[in-house]
Amino acid sequence: MKIGIINYSLGNVGSVLSAFNFYKTDAKLVSQPSDIDQCDLVVLAGVGNFKTAVDRLKSSGFWERLNQAVTMEGKTLLGICLGMQLFADLSFEGGSQPGFGWIKGKVIKIDDKSVRIPHMGWNKVQAFDNNIFQGMHQQYFYFMHSYHFVPEDKSVVVGTTKYGNTDIVAAVRHKNIIGVQFHPEKSQGDGLRLVRNLLEEIKC
Amino acid sequence: MLTKRIIPLFLLKGSRLVKGSHFGDYVDVGDPVSQAMIYDAQGAEEVVILDIEATKHDRMIDTSIITEAIEKCRLPIAAGGGIKNLEDAHCCFRAGADKIVINSHAALNPDLVKEMSDEFGSQSVVASIDVNKSAGGRYDVYIFSGTKKIDIGLEKLVETYLANGIGEIIVTSIGQEGTLSGFDCDLYQKLRPLVNVPLIASGGSGSYDDMVNLFQKSDCDGVALGKMLCLRDYDIVRIKSYLKGKNVLIRET
Repeated sequence: MKIGIINYSLGNVGSVLSAFNFYKTDAKLVSQPSDIDQCDLVVLAGVGNFKTAVDRLKSSGFWERLNQAVTMEGKTLLGICLGMQLFADLSFEGGSQPGFGWIKGKVIKIDDKSVRIPHMGWNKVQAFDNNIFQGMHQQYFYFMHSYHFVPEDKSVVVGTTKYGNTDIVAAVRHKNIIGVQFHPEKSQGDGLRLVRNLLEEIKC
Repeated sequence: MLTKRIIPLFLLKGSRLVKGSHFGDYVDVGDPVSQAMIYDAQGAEEVVILDIEATKHDRMIDTSIITEAIEKCRLPIAAGGGIKNLEDAHCCFRAGADKIVINSHAALNPDLVKEMSDEFGSQSVVASIDVNKSAGGRYDVYIFSGTKKIDIGLEKLVETYLANGIGEIIVTSIGQEGTLSGFDCDLYQKLRPLVNVPLIASGGSGSYDDMVNLFQKSDCDGVALGKMLCLRDYDIVRIKSYLKGKNVLIRET
């Protein structure tokens, strides 16, 4: 099984690579859209600004290729943090900007006066998916974000975390795509377990 | 709910970890990467690595240390030291830093905070502010590793950083740093209502109850620990177990 981590010069893909390498997988950073052809699992990570990410994916040619891989070829894709937010059809980070639109919904700023923004640190995830969250210890994961994804169809939500009065969507799953708002590659034991669960699930 | 963070704070001189008191009298306390691996295994929430000589020597933190640390650890790493423009920050992120920490260059040029939060998002940009209490009880801000006092007051600087989109603030008390005599709780009590982003207390932690006190009095989001971990017989596991017993919201590991 080949794993491709999209390297579009935004954020620290090194940690993601290192987490997959922990399980001795054939994972590598992918800098050419055509390299996706050979991948069984595509990982879209990323930090920073939504618009910057969209612009860079488009200018590097990844945008079209990823869209095709997900919607036509049914390739499994894991989105991490901003990578998950890109699933949405619209984000309001710095104006309004369309995303891939793989899952209907919007990315909005966390709107809760009772809490500090960014939502930064370790928070407990309540899981509704017995596959990717199985065998974990306490389900604490590392979050760092100010915007969050609000899908229209709640049935895609497979994990939430409580922050103030808001149930933040921590994980989504829709057909062949899985997204997590937190950083599994930064979340010690339970983060690694999520990677392992995913690898076991897609084993051909 | 979000748990309080226990954060080992590493000071670097070049490639070595050092620890002192009141921003001086440094002694070598080991290798940053192996220490980071130890605290990762013990369940620290994050590690902050700062090169305290970088700005003075007009260079940046050695990013190979960041890369080695992120390859061997599974926790977030914030890095700083000599970051003075977007390109420097890009270097740190490319090396694998999750957050960058800015201090002297941000205080001298607060627009830098805005440039960085626009480019990388607020959540990735942390300000570190070093303060000393003057005889009159005022908090003066120092830059260049505590060697140069600046005219702008602490409250004003914090306000400017927040307006420019800073994502988190670490405030170190120079007077308490390395003394193991407890945090300056007044400082954080005073700052807390002004700071609507995560606030991390640094300087003075020397016992379990110092942390309990701080969390009870100021509601800081995390504590940075230095000497207590490097040169005394404490570890993250026991610290967390004690804090949990005192009803501090802590992540169980």
